Amino acid sequence: MTSPPGPESALTAEAPASAEAAPEIAAVEVRGVRFRFPSGQAALDDVSFTARAGERVAIVGPSGAGKSTLLMHLNGLLPERLPAVPQSTVFIEGVAVAPETAADVRRRVGFLFQDPDDQLFCPTVREDVAFGPLNLGLPAAEVRGLVTSSLELVGLGAEYAERSTLQLSVGERKRVCLAGVFACRPSVLALDEPSANLDPRARRNLLQILNRFSGCQIIATHDLDLVVEHCHRVVVLDHGKVFADGPPAQVLRDEWLLKQHGLEVPLRLLLDDSMPRHSLS
Amino acid sequence: MTVESGPTVCHRLPAGLKLLLVALVIAAGLAIPAENWPAHGMLAALVFAGHTFAGIPLRYLLRRLALFLPLLLTFALSLPLSQGGDRGWELGTAIALRGSLAFLSMLWLIHVLPFPQLLATLRRYHCPSVLLAMMAFMYRFSFLLFHEVERMTAARRARSFGRTGFWFRWKVGAQVIGMLLIRSMRRAERVHGAMLARGWTGDVRVLEDKA
Repeated sequence: MTSPPGPESALTAEAPASAEAAPEIAAVEVRGVRFRFPSGQAALDDVSFTARAGERVAIVGPSGAGKSTLLMHLNGLLPERLPAVPQSTVFIEGVAVAPETAADVRRRVGFLFQDPDDQLFCPTVREDVAFGPLNLGLPAAEVRGLVTSSLELVGLGAEYAERSTLQLSVGERKRVCLAGVFACRPSVLALDEPSANLDPRARRNLLQILNRFSGCQIIATHDLDLVVEHCHRVVVLDHGKVFADGPPAQVLRDEWLLKQHGLEVPLRLLLDDSMPRHSLS
Repeated sequence: MTVESGPTVCHRLPAGLKLLLVALVIAAGLAIPAENWPAHGMLAALVFAGHTFAGIPLRYLLRRLALFLPLLLTFALSLPLSQGGDRGWELGTAIALRGSLAFLSMLWLIHVLPFPQLLATLRRYHCPSVLLAMMAFMYRFSFLLFHEVERMTAARRARSFGRTGFWFRWKVGAQVIGMLLIRSMRRAERVHGAMLARGWTGDVRVLEDKA
């Protein structure tokens, strides 16, 4: 089992303005993934895409499109209990997601859940942030350092460490969840609706934090303005199938495509298009 | 053992001592013979003195006791029926009294020792980590469940349009409980997923205090 790439660089350096300079290695490779729920309902049908290191890829689509299901495949939470599959269909930095690689894959992929209450299960912030590093088997002194640095990274001071996870606002809970993810030093982030239920300021803070992470980010979201603002690429998913894959400025301007899949052109792009050029200068 | 901060002398006692006091009260309650009523009275006086020193309002105690007593009395009243005669009543009364005192002692502990500190203290005294993890989960998610019940009750009221009545309330109450069970199971699945995502392999690992 190889160790993940240097997390410090992934967390402290500003991400490149574009993914052009990113190296060739695929951080995430999804090859023809199919998945059915136990009820028989198809959730994913031949989904394929790749994301390079440093690239930020948004997965958009209507509710029930399969976005969260797809994210769960990235660190082996699905298929449930990782049953033996004839051929691996998801690769993280070249490592096939399989039962025997689950620990390694989960070390590489940090997963942010949609509802912070699902992710914060320890009584105090400190214990919750320490949960992942302790499971990685890191020594206590290192874990303490990681807890402090991760909390600082998400803009929460050391005074939050002993706070109960019950006494936090939604924005703070989201940030503690991110601190818990960062403390595991991932090289890939899988974020499920990261901006859901956040007020504008908390959303802006979240984006600033995510901008500081230079690793690969796969973001399932309904927030198309976030996609325009933050992502290099967008994948449109509906009924478990990929319908478009390209730069947000191009894909999210295609009104017909968006209408077909229960989406709308984001306000930010509408404003950009309607604003006279001379007013910008 | 470190001295805690807090508004009353009970809050400022060391956490370990608070635990020891409660354990002693419960052990004493068990050790006192059923027919020794003066000893039971002294123990009750001690417990109520603890509550007074901790500044816990009597109304708070009575409300909590009212929730617990029906369960305890159901069990206590079964003794005269099964044992019969004076001995059965004596045992039943002693059990009701001891149960109440143990419950009141736990209330005192909850009031003077915040839960995270209670867990930390139990960990310091080598309480099994699986038990501590279960307690932590129970504490964390009891609040979530409570909020979930509140939201469901508010939603029910919003669409009841003033309709009340014994059977209606029972029916809706049963539906809420059923839905809560399903939601709890789904949440449990999601929490388990979140634990797996951060490397959980079934072992409970905790970050020990520096001291």
